[in-house]
Amino acid sequence: MTVSGGLTVSPEDESFRAEVRAWLAEHLHGDFADIVGTGGPGREHEALERRREWERRLGDGNWIGLGWPVDKGGRAASLTRQVIFHEEYARAGGPGRLGHMSEQLVGPTLLAFGTAQQQDRFLPGILSGEVLWCQGYSEPGAGSDLAGVRTKASLRGEEYVLEGQKVWTSLAHIADWCFVVARTDPAQTRHRGLSYLLVPMAQPGVRVRPIAQLTGTSEFNEVFFDGAVTGVENRIGDEGDGWRVAMGTLAFERGVATLGQQIGFERELTAVIETARATGALADPALRARLVDAWIGLRVMRYTAIRTLASSGEGAPGFEGSISKLQWANWHRDLGELAVDVAGPGALVTEGAPYELTDAQRLFLYTRADTIYGGTNEIQRNIIAERMLGLPR
Amino acid sequence: MNQHGTVTRADERDDMRRTVAEFLDRYSDSGRVRAAMASEHGYDTALWRRCSQELGTTALVVPERCGGLGMGFADAAVVIEEFGRRVVPSPLLTTVVAAAAAAACDTGEADELLRVIAEEGAAVSIAFEGERPVRATRTGRRWSLRGRPAHVMHGADVDVLLVVAETGNAGDPALFVVRRAAEGVRADRLVTLDQTRSLAEVELAGARAVPLAGEGNVKSIVDMVTELTLIALAAESAAAARSCLEATVEYLKVRHQFGKPLGSFQALKHRCADLAVDVEGAESTAWYAVETALADPGERAVVAPLAKAVCADTFMRVAAESVQLHGGIGFTFEHDAHLFLKRAKANQHLLASPQELRRKVGEAAGL
Repeated sequence: MTVSGGLTVSPEDESFRAEVRAWLAEHLHGDFADIVGTGGPGREHEALERRREWERRLGDGNWIGLGWPVDKGGRAASLTRQVIFHEEYARAGGPGRLGHMSEQLVGPTLLAFGTAQQQDRFLPGILSGEVLWCQGYSEPGAGSDLAGVRTKASLRGEEYVLEGQKVWTSLAHIADWCFVVARTDPAQTRHRGLSYLLVPMAQPGVRVRPIAQLTGTSEFNEVFFDGAVTGVENRIGDEGDGWRVAMGTLAFERGVATLGQQIGFERELTAVIETARATGALADPALRARLVDAWIGLRVMRYTAIRTLASSGEGAPGFEGSISKLQWANWHRDLGELAVDVAGPGALVTEGAPYELTDAQRLFLYTRADTIYGGTNEIQRNIIAERMLGLPR
Repeated sequence: MNQHGTVTRADERDDMRRTVAEFLDRYSDSGRVRAAMASEHGYDTALWRRCSQELGTTALVVPERCGGLGMGFADAAVVIEEFGRRVVPSPLLTTVVAAAAAAACDTGEADELLRVIAEEGAAVSIAFEGERPVRATRTGRRWSLRGRPAHVMHGADVDVLLVVAETGNAGDPALFVVRRAAEGVRADRLVTLDQTRSLAEVELAGARAVPLAGEGNVKSIVDMVTELTLIALAAESAAAARSCLEATVEYLKVRHQFGKPLGSFQALKHRCADLAVDVEGAESTAWYAVETALADPGERAVVAPLAKAVCADTFMRVAAESVQLHGGIGFTFEHDAHLFLKRAKANQHLLASPQELRRKVGEAAGL
């Protein structure tokens, strides 16, 4: 499947695609053949060191920050080309990106809200794949209700001193920096009095503890700030303006990665269908109907993504993010159940000790996170109902 | 405007959508829809004439050489959608599909049909294969049809029928043009579940017919008519689902119970949000189907049944929720909610049921 139907793909775009393919063939299927298909949701614990090296290789190839302005070190690539890159990356089995939060979240935040000095300091490390970032938003008392942040940052001279706890921080154990939403004005509540701070991870005041997940693996962490410090120059935006900066970041996602993600979904669905064929589940009318619906659902997501991209550039990003999140999270979670349901009696036995899951079992269990992280289904529904449909609070 | 700041096809379509919407707001409000569905012909023939003359709706996809406007199927879909948003009873959908297929035929017979549509504002419907296949027989240069097709949308009240019939040789069916008023054509209007779209039982007893396509592309034109009808029904359903959801949301904003608007209750909000996700998916699917309808026949064979299944099912879900979320008023005849409910159920089953469509999609997917 390639981009079509509304997104213009020029001959130059096609030669760009050829360039991406050639580069991936040379590098991914060359030096990094051992980590093809590693990482990603449910496998985030795999091959961390090698994937770190891979990020640097991507940086060398100037494949990070494709859509960023040229004077900031990017390629100013069109949406179409960004999509092409994601599609080819997924098709080639590119490893789950450790630099996702660097490139997709903190990078765009720096571009939108950072000072020239901050951009000069932090963007090169992101673009080279050298420096990895993690996200310090959620807390034990601030999940869906992010404005409930209690981590405190008090100004002491030219430094902020942080006290508090973050949770669900993926990659915190290998990240170099964390972008943190912390309360800088204890007199203020909710969305007010928060600031957006960049905090170095390698210091005595930061402790990281992995969270044991229901999958038996650990991809997320708790992060404890106990006297951790960061310079006042590492605050993005004004003091007290952290909510606006953090929310601005969330609006950057424009579905460019969605079509690439769907290539991964297609691969998973194909595997489920093959299992169903092997076990005879495909001949069962009820299971077959669910498989057809899954196949249709993937097409619907694809058409939605293409339509969103085709209408991009028309004003501010809308609510496509929430629509698409609900669409794919529910679809993926259903696929996880279907994967186990078509696998037959063997679905109940793992690959082995301690708790080595089959692909179907991992999909079934891990996709429980899809409908929770990045804004739960319920939060997405609130956003759609209140902000898109205009229903009263 | 697109990224480059130029005026696009999309802008022109937006203008057209606005024009049609204003026209229908003026001439086909809920009261007129109800009058039309209860009228002698089951649709407002004065509105049909006015549409043809003032908006050129029948001439939209007719090539300019046949007196039409030479627009694309995707342009015409905009008009079908606006009619769908208001469940306007009309043979517009089948007339547009018939014209789009005829425009692809490049025969004298097809051009003649196109001229009749564009210049005389003829209403056309399509008779697909039913339980007793229609057979075409040839005597000299004259073709005649015999048999009973599937129920035909507005079939008793159109000027021309496009009939899918078996020609005996090779088994592939072909398309024939039949005047509804011709001898040997009986078309009885049935009382239908969907009161906004009548159906007719058509009996052909030696009716005189003219083949639409040339020998070479008989099969491809029959497939095209079938698939374009599915796509048109998909586009109509997605648009109707959107307007049904909009009306429901508006009602939840103004209707107060327990001292607050119903729409402030999270249980109801979340149901609306889920519907909004479904409608977005349906609109996108219809959009893709319409945009690619004439470009790639291979892809269309998959997309058409998929789009109709997705859009009609979504429409049904929205219409059912609309009745429920309106509460008691939603069960009255006076409120329009039931018009959408009935149209939605009918759209699910017209031409092919959700099960048949899924079987087709499954086969195409190699399942």
